[in-house]
Amino acid sequence: MTTQSNGVIDVADVSKWYGSVVAVNEVSFQVNPGITALLGPNGAGKTTMLHLIAGLAKCSDGQITTLGEPVRNNPSLYQRVGFMPEHESVYGFYTGRQLVEFSAKLYGLSPLGEAVDRAIQIVGMEDAQNRTMDGYSRGMRQRMRLAAAIVHDPQVMILDEPLNGTDPRQRIEFQEVMERLASQGRTILISSHILEEVETMAGRILLMVSGKLAASGDFRAIRAKLDEQAYQVRIVVDEPRRMASAIVSLDDVDSVSFDDDGSIVVLSRKVATIQTTLPRMAQENGIRLTRMEPIDESLESLFEYIVER
Amino acid sequence: MLTLLRLSMRQLGGKRRVALILLLSILPIALAVVVSIAEGEDESFDSDFINILLDGLMVGGILPIVTMAVATAAFGNELEDQTLSYIVLKPIPRWHIALPKLLASIIIVGPLIIASGAIAAWIGMGADPRISAAVGLALFAGVTTYSSIFSWAGLMTTRALAFAIVYVFLWEGLISSFINGVDYLSVRGYTLAIMHGIDKDGLGELSERVIEFPAAVGGAVAVSVVFFYLTVRRLRNMDVP
Repeated sequence: MTTQSNGVIDVADVSKWYGSVVAVNEVSFQVNPGITALLGPNGAGKTTMLHLIAGLAKCSDGQITTLGEPVRNNPSLYQRVGFMPEHESVYGFYTGRQLVEFSAKLYGLSPLGEAVDRAIQIVGMEDAQNRTMDGYSRGMRQRMRLAAAIVHDPQVMILDEPLNGTDPRQRIEFQEVMERLASQGRTILISSHILEEVETMAGRILLMVSGKLAASGDFRAIRAKLDEQAYQVRIVVDEPRRMASAIVSLDDVDSVSFDDDGSIVVLSRKVATIQTTLPRMAQENGIRLTRMEPIDESLESLFEYIVER
Repeated sequence: MLTLLRLSMRQLGGKRRVALILLLSILPIALAVVVSIAEGEDESFDSDFINILLDGLMVGGILPIVTMAVATAAFGNELEDQTLSYIVLKPIPRWHIALPKLLASIIIVGPLIIASGAIAAWIGMGADPRISAAVGLALFAGVTTYSSIFSWAGLMTTRALAFAIVYVFLWEGLISSFINGVDYLSVRGYTLAIMHGIDKDGLGELSERVIEFPAAVGGAVAVSVVFFYLTVRRLRNMDVP
């Protein structure tokens, strides 16, 4: 079955629920050649989304196609797609090279040697290829798993948190590898919960929050979009009236009000700014700030995500 | 398929698991030696040997226990370790995944259990090659059928062992002793009937409580094929962690 699609990966109105828990909620986007990052805090639904795209999980609703073909139960498509799962479980008794060879055999590659050598070289593991997977550091294991995922030189790569456990130097090397592969026309979708990991290499970012696609575009466009939204933030201080007086003088604040319990509710479109400004302001005025939290629960994760930066 | 068979053999053929199989395989042989020395002149010996050692211990206990320990792990371990995604996202048909898992279970369990039963029968039943062959072939049928059921169970639930225990000891052990027709839906029933069907004279003791030989062979084949098909279907439909 071939369906009409516009992107290399086409996600159309996709939802996934487990019983009453909605993991992915009516998400639509397209992924084209180049590097695209799927970002979001832990629990945002990124891994579920990637599992749906890879064909590991079945959509509760909606449709996903890759290279114009449905992704579920389509073994012939898997020849052109490489998937690296987030979890680090591997066949620990294999050496790194054996893991890559195992993958190459299942992809039906022949002869094996050249493809295996190339994949191991790409991830820079030539010197340690004959050690067992159990004997590797986390970063080394990640790299060998990546080699196993790309040994068949796939057109589409789906990598779930590939930078977990890597050190800064390995991240730079990984970025170079991904950029080189992307420049050859491949479509690479990488997930991460840390923006800094991917913002320099990803041409496009998809931001997921609470199972929904909160924003998509390049990094600056997403930040601009976030800044357009008004957020309600609750602040608890020991001197609410004096703090409120100081807050209303800020340009980035749309309104200030008091809740019944005496806490201050601040409405702002510049949540990233106020999260740094308010604690400083409290400190400068000798006011004790005991709590600062978003009121709108649906935006809580997003808020935390921004604040964590 | 050989790649996956090798992997599965390595996964399932761990030292502890093989040691357990070896230990349980030696038990019937050791018991056969002991009881044949102790009760060799007793006229009811053959009958007791068949009822207690072959039926009760081997077919009703060791065969299902050992097979469930191995076959439920064939997919169960992959699910627990979350390594199944390394296999299912490869360009191979689902039955190419299910078959090596099934074969690995049979290869690991089969030889030891078959040898154990055949040797025990040889020692205990007067060194009759026909009886040993009947016991060996019937155990092979039992291992294959149980492996197919328990491989599927390992893919269906994380509590496959509990399912297997309930099936073996409640359905085959308890309920089948009260209701005759249960033997038509019982691997233990198939195994004993195949054993008896191959050597009706030597294993005549079983004649009054086994189902017909063709029904047993047909049942064992049908159950093996149906559960293999269900395993393939499950691989197609399931969400892989």
